[in-house]
Amino acid sequence: MEEEKSSISKKWRNAYALVIITLILLIVFFYFFAKQFV
Amino acid sequence: MSIVDWFVLIITLLAVIIYGVYKSKSEKTLDGYFKSGNSMSWFLILLSIMGTQASAITFLSAPGQAYTDGMRFVQYYFGLPLAMVVLCVTFIPIYHKLKVYTAYEFLEQRFDLKTRALASILFLIQRALSTGISIYAPSIILSSLLGWNIYYTNLVMGGFLIIYTVSGGTKAVTYTQMQQLLIVFVGMFLAGYMVVHMLPPNVSFSDALHVAGKMGKLNVIETKIDVTDSHWWKDKYNIWSGLIGGFFLALSYFGTDQSQVGRYLTAKNTKESRIGLLMNGLVKVPMQFLILMVGSLVFVFYMFYQSPVFFNQKEVEKVLATDYKTSFVNLQVKNDSLNVIKQTQTHQLVDAIHQKNDLQIRNTQASLKETDKQTKTIRADAVAIMKKADKTADTNDTNYIFLYFVVQNLPRGLIGLLIAMIFLAAWGSIAAALNSLASTTVIDLYKRMWVKEQTEAHYFKASRWFTFGWGLFCIATAMFASKLGSLIEAVNVLGSLFYGTILGIFLVAFYMKRVGGRAVFYAAIITEALVIAIYISDVISFLWLNVIGCLLVMGFALILQKVLVKPTTK
Repeated sequence: MEEEKSSISKKWRNAYALVIITLILLIVFFYFFAKQFV
Repeated sequence: MSIVDWFVLIITLLAVIIYGVYKSKSEKTLDGYFKSGNSMSWFLILLSIMGTQASAITFLSAPGQAYTDGMRFVQYYFGLPLAMVVLCVTFIPIYHKLKVYTAYEFLEQRFDLKTRALASILFLIQRALSTGISIYAPSIILSSLLGWNIYYTNLVMGGFLIIYTVSGGTKAVTYTQMQQLLIVFVGMFLAGYMVVHMLPPNVSFSDALHVAGKMGKLNVIETKIDVTDSHWWKDKYNIWSGLIGGFFLALSYFGTDQSQVGRYLTAKNTKESRIGLLMNGLVKVPMQFLILMVGSLVFVFYMFYQSPVFFNQKEVEKVLATDYKTSFVNLQVKNDSLNVIKQTQTHQLVDAIHQKNDLQIRNTQASLKETDKQTKTIRADAVAIMKKADKTADTNDTNYIFLYFVVQNLPRGLIGLLIAMIFLAAWGSIAAALNSLASTTVIDLYKRMWVKEQTEAHYFKASRWFTFGWGLFCIATAMFASKLGSLIEAVNVLGSLFYGTILGIFLVAFYMKRVGGRAVFYAAIITEALVIAIYISDVISFLWLNVIGCLLVMGFALILQKVLVKPTTK
């Protein structure tokens, strides 16, 4: 039960990390996108 | 508008109303009416959250904002994904565990009834007024560009959706939002495609982006803050105000505004709510980026074709009917000749880009910017004349740019679809707002404080009446709405005045376990007065008001807790 619970919370932690990493990648992409066309 | 456009518009709107009424047949209980019997999947939650946030103003104002100010407005959404994570960790588990109907119900369980009532009332004021603006904003633009009567337009914009919102509650709102968003996305995609398609044959999509970039319209990331400039706090859209201010605004909007909380409370379970919110965090920024890009492309389109001196044609007609006609016409002629110069220079710039001739690119860019500066001066002169002719003239045409482009340039049928898109985008957010106004009124005030111990059928009936009543109130607000500058900003400003305080109350509830109801109640009242005073004194950009409001409530609550509650000996 404990193991199952911790694996679920680990899955959620990964999902949260994915959202934050995507945001960082988007900001980096926007930066270089804008730079390319200036 | 042609008959084809009218046909597309009426059929699209009717189809959505009929679908909404059809979906609302089974709802007869309070749980079904406000929470859809907890039956929604994450996908519907996602579409509902997006449909609620993206109003007609989003699709009218954002491209206009990109046209005038570039794409930096996208930074305003950078805090949103971070807020989604915090909501999933803190807010959602508690809301689901307590099985609440509204966010404010939780406040009574944590503090007391008066704090719940205060938060509910602050929400009702802010949401009802901003929903009125959400009706008025697209109506005034449509009525100006198409010559429609503003009062009838307001009625269609805010009236027809009442039919399915009253009859079907949350379920009808969610299912119609799905249809609405689909049409909105198709409409925006076609508009974006058509802008590029209508550029001169030798100008590709990539060339258009180069031109937009050279003219400073792809300023997606702005990191520089000049702290030596005393007005740097007033800079609205840079990465810092976007990340910090945007985070607090998104946290308060999605975590404490019932129009959003009411969407994800309909989920089957915590997991579905969380996935819906996290997916929203993933798709919202790219979506906003693409909408703004359409605006930048419209800017490029008008580098190759004639643009008017002022996009709000109703105001132009007004000034042409006065003694200032001659001086205004002179400015229009000057604007037209500058447009011709601009077109030649833009073609030269594209040629230089094709040849990869850096020196020529720099030279043409400089002369284009100079011409653009002159165009702006003429525009400023035109605005000054309009002001002279009529002191009450609406001199901000940002929200008119995109629809002017649509009406003047797109083929028949597509114009009807894009106008239907504006109506449907408005309906999605207004319907959710009416549903949340009714749920807060019934659950937090009517059932809890005014008319207790009644049957389920009574509260269900009351919910329908309150939805109807709020619908009428919002239409009435729209009828009285006057000039408010950039309308998307007006809604955000209104939100910023109240959201910070409400968020502060919730954060105290979640993270400051020792603080009680009395302390947080008075802290919220003091803070609200201070936030309004700061806004009136105009010392800071409205985006920061959320942060200030939230931090002040937390700070005051801590202090008041120590002052008001005397230590007791056990």
